[in-house]
Amino acid sequence: MASAMSTKILGPLRLSKQLISASFCRSKSDLTAATGHTFTEYEKQRDKKDVSIIVNEKMDISAISGVPEEHIKTRTVRIFVPARNTMQSGTYNTRRWRMEFDSRERWENPLMGWISTGDPLSNLEVNFNSKEDAISFCEKNGWDWFVEEEKKPKMVKKSYGANFAWNKRTRVSTK
Amino acid sequence: MLRLWPLRQVAKVQNVLGGLTQIATKSTQPAPAPELVEVFIDDKQVFVEPGTTVLQACAVAGVEIPRFCYHDRLSIAGNCRMCLVEVERSPKPVASCAMPVMKGMKVKTDSPMTRKAREGVMEFLLMNHPLDCPICDQGGECDLQDQSMAFGSDRSRFTDNAFTGKRAVEDKNIGPLIKTIMTRCIQCTRCIRFASEIAGVDDLGTSGRGTDMQVGTYVEKMFKSELSGNVIDLCPVGALTSKPYAFTARPWEIRKVESIDVMDAVGSNIVVGMRTNEVMRVLPRVNEDINEEWISDKTRFAYDGLKRQRLTTPFINVDGQLVPTDWETAFVKVAEKVKKVDPKLIAGVAGSTADAEAMVCLKDMINRLGGELLCTEDSFPLNRSGIDFRSNYIFNTTIGGIEQADVVLLIGTNPRLEAPLINARIRKTWIHSEVCVGVLGAPVDLSYEYQYLGDSFIVLKDLAAGTHPMCKALASANKPMIILGTDCLQGTENGVIYNAVKDIAERLRKNLKHKDWKIFNLLQKNASQVGALDLGYQPGVSGLKALQAELIFLLGADAGTVSKDKINPSSSVIYIGHHGDYGAQIADVVLPAAAYTEKDAIYVNTEGRVQLARQAVNPPGMARHDWKIIRALSEILGVALPYDKLADVRARLGEISPTFDQPGQVNESGFEAQAYQLQTEIKDPIVNVNTAISPTMLKLKDFYMTDPISRASLTMAKCIQACKESEKNPYSKQEAKA
Repeated sequence: MASAMSTKILGPLRLSKQLISASFCRSKSDLTAATGHTFTEYEKQRDKKDVSIIVNEKMDISAISGVPEEHIKTRTVRIFVPARNTMQSGTYNTRRWRMEFDSRERWENPLMGWISTGDPLSNLEVNFNSKEDAISFCEKNGWDWFVEEEKKPKMVKKSYGANFAWNKRTRVSTK
Repeated sequence: MLRLWPLRQVAKVQNVLGGLTQIATKSTQPAPAPELVEVFIDDKQVFVEPGTTVLQACAVAGVEIPRFCYHDRLSIAGNCRMCLVEVERSPKPVASCAMPVMKGMKVKTDSPMTRKAREGVMEFLLMNHPLDCPICDQGGECDLQDQSMAFGSDRSRFTDNAFTGKRAVEDKNIGPLIKTIMTRCIQCTRCIRFASEIAGVDDLGTSGRGTDMQVGTYVEKMFKSELSGNVIDLCPVGALTSKPYAFTARPWEIRKVESIDVMDAVGSNIVVGMRTNEVMRVLPRVNEDINEEWISDKTRFAYDGLKRQRLTTPFINVDGQLVPTDWETAFVKVAEKVKKVDPKLIAGVAGSTADAEAMVCLKDMINRLGGELLCTEDSFPLNRSGIDFRSNYIFNTTIGGIEQADVVLLIGTNPRLEAPLINARIRKTWIHSEVCVGVLGAPVDLSYEYQYLGDSFIVLKDLAAGTHPMCKALASANKPMIILGTDCLQGTENGVIYNAVKDIAERLRKNLKHKDWKIFNLLQKNASQVGALDLGYQPGVSGLKALQAELIFLLGADAGTVSKDKINPSSSVIYIGHHGDYGAQIADVVLPAAAYTEKDAIYVNTEGRVQLARQAVNPPGMARHDWKIIRALSEILGVALPYDKLADVRARLGEISPTFDQPGQVNESGFEAQAYQLQTEIKDPIVNVNTAISPTMLKLKDFYMTDPISRASLTMAKCIQACKESEKNPYSKQEAKA
């Protein structure tokens, strides 16, 4: 479960990339004049000299993340793709992976009759582009996790003509 | 919607069984992969199979086309026109839902022409749609609302010059589950198509044309289907909404918890809507392998039973009266009772909604005390290889596998009411791949046509001997399926029936062309059964009487199979469960536990698929999670269980059966030949079964109340009442088949 994570340490050059692109964006022609190269060529050359260092070490930030120990050791994260709301046809919310924690006790607050919880993580909503991202985030924070695999709808071949097929049970006469 | 079957009318006259053999001529060779068609969606190149619609091709390209009438699981209607897109070199915009792709087609989904077309459609739809979103239950998850925001015009040209008002339509009464506000209807006909295609109840249709068009049943009658609630989801506007949920919550207030249903053994994937520590509603969750996008009405509407008849505090029986008490007293009382009896005479019974964690805790605790007998309420023949092989008691073909079958033989089961979604799958297969269905049992309405073989044991014996005409059809089938119900296995002759069915399956298996195809299926009725058998529980409570059990732990066992008088009048009963139902009535000590929406729990469905239910709300009052109750009790009884966390209990489950470590998957079960071999080693006395092989649920009204939760539900009670009333309605289809 806990595979060695690769941590990328950004070199000074990578950092300066942002600075360069920020400060030179208005003076591309100046740069061309100064170096004799076009700007894109310069970028290409610079990217070749990528000095990121990959450290094969499991990163654990749970000691410094500020999350109380109780909420690290006793919580389990479920990593999943939110189900499409069957009341609607849109699928936008199903495009990303999400994490949620196990449910903790809630109680009715006597003041207003609303519901209270002592769980600071119950409203945490973090989305990820991939489940690997979600897993490494959980590992980094020291949470136990499990993945619920994505359930993709199958595409079925359909044709309007099937409504009028003369020898199939898909035939529809009136509505 | 009417369906015309000119050819099938002719086929009916001919020998239908003769017709069944025709399927063998169907080619089993998969067609060679067709050449993919290149299309451009907004200049993005995608390759799709020929015959794909433009709308589907757009989905492949990641472009979502707005739609109202089109639905992935229904036939194409093409009447809302919202999916109009521009296709290059086509003079008019085309309806992408019905248009198949053509080579080199260039589709523009966001061109001025497309946008104008959408705006126009939107304007027409809104012209006759009331502006009652603030009081509409669909508000917040309404396709019309969303799409008018995204694709509609920013101003309206609608002026009611003649003060005639917008179109108004009378509301219909189609039963206690679906609320209709027909003025909101945009006539997408999704509900009509669902009723006739998926539910198989041709009750809904349209009358009139143009502005006068109305969707309804024409004469007032109940929409009598076990899947009727799904039209609420399908309705893109607020014309069909949920009656029990009306005006109770808004979608943005609801916390969605993805969970598993336990009303039947299908294990439908659901989303529990929770607000203020209360279950507000239950919606389906897409899972192609199980429930696709549908759930049964019991799954959807029985949630109000979670709030009634609940056990919120421990009880002890004092002079025949259950008296509320605290946990400590109740535990001490149990400990006293345990001390008094011979540990060998302690037994446990798991009910229909017991979760795997609680069952394994109960089993470990009773075993540690010295008891050996743990059983479930549903009986199953043990006389031969019985539950030693998993393939004997699960739905081996899997629910998704039904779609590949070409002959289905149903024995002693009414899948429409026992597992509505399995029946919907069979119906889907019946429509799309012309599966032939034979029924041995009661002649119930299954929503598709079938060959009725009778309900006597003689027919089953003929089938087992290979002399019945149906055997020919089965033998010539490429992928035959046999679905055996559990109702006919409850009697004393269950072994004989079971063995006869196994004989049929084994003969077919030997001559099967597809060696990995599974024929035999057992359709369980209880959500806990497969899990219990996996954990080593014995099926059926007959062992209790044989043992003369002195102390019985009931884990939500409410089916009424355990009765003190029949087992041992001096016995004591400890009930661990969530509802004040049958089990609590006969109990000496009641320990309040959590229902399925109140715990993180594992359930194994009839396919043997392990699924995780999630906790949505807290158990009410002093009720606690089942496994925690048993864990705490074990400490008091001096046999402390060696697990403190849910993860530890699950690890224990994994020790017993590795399937528990693979949630969501079905592990193919093997050893059919060995299972059968063991079965034949012991010869049974030749017994004739005189009772009819029949399921117990015959009519829709039998469907609604099957477990303590649905029995406590007011909505389910209303459904039964409505069903009874509709029997008097001359326009309602009579369920009993001639």
